[in-house]
Amino acid sequence: MKPPLLMRALLLVVAGEAEAECVAGDLEEEFGQSSRSRCWYISQVTRSLLPLLLLRVRSGELSRILLGAVLGAALPLLLLDRLWCLIYSQIPLKDGVDRAPGFLAVNILAVTVCACISGFERRSLRQGASSAMLAMAAVGVALWACNGSAPAPYAVLVLLFAPAGSLLGSALRRFT
Amino acid sequence: MLLTLRRDFLYYVETVAKGEFLGEFEHIVLLAVWRLSDTAYGMSVRREIADRTGRDVSIGAVYATLERLAAKGLVTSALSDPTPERGGRAKRSFRVTGAGVDAVNRTRQGLANMLEGLEFPAAGASR
Repeated sequence: MKPPLLMRALLLVVAGEAEAECVAGDLEEEFGQSSRSRCWYISQVTRSLLPLLLLRVRSGELSRILLGAVLGAALPLLLLDRLWCLIYSQIPLKDGVDRAPGFLAVNILAVTVCACISGFERRSLRQGASSAMLAMAAVGVALWACNGSAPAPYAVLVLLFAPAGSLLGSALRRFT
Repeated sequence: MLLTLRRDFLYYVETVAKGEFLGEFEHIVLLAVWRLSDTAYGMSVRREIADRTGRDVSIGAVYATLERLAAKGLVTSALSDPTPERGGRAKRSFRVTGAGVDAVNRTRQGLANMLEGLEFPAAGASR
């Protein structure tokens, strides 16, 4: 019987790479040798999340990833939105003026590139995955904070492309 | 007053900040690592604590404490080769350092000093 995949993924995302490696290995060994139940595994992981997260915060790793997510995804998005608002405010007849698709495409591209650069700073794919999740959260907050009403397809694309960019960046670092 | 504050601050910097005092759980984890000697790693420490104290602690809490002890220089760690039963992951073994032994001795001495002269009622008599 294999340990629950979701719990393993959660552990990898929350704990730092080095810790997750050891903790997951210990849990898997105990799970396999002592025929522990899935409930035991789930309980161990859920109870371990907070101490491991605090450990990661203390080591400064989480703050670096958070900073990367904000600088790589949320800040560019907010700045581009401000720019669009400025351009929009200069147009005398605003009626019927919608956000140009070209501008939105450039916006998405810029956020993806920034997220990719931010993801490139991560040392491994696991850190890249954590960064991607935080990038998505940061973009969500940024979209919520944007004054202009973002079209739904644009919001969905940005929410997808920011973490994808972050993951791509960390993958590029690994394979280059 | 200022002199006392300064003395307290220096005391803090020289002792507490260097991690010479152990918290309760740190003490227990350090003793478990010491007892297990060469076979001390996260899960064995967790098992040892459960067997001897009856506390069912999480593996995350054990690792977080071991990390803290390592940062204080009270334990050292080494990674072994990955094994198939661990899903191809390496095992991290821990060992108590000389500073760790000193810290346990100090804590034990402090506890013994505090307990000295106290009379304990028989189990259940305090209810």
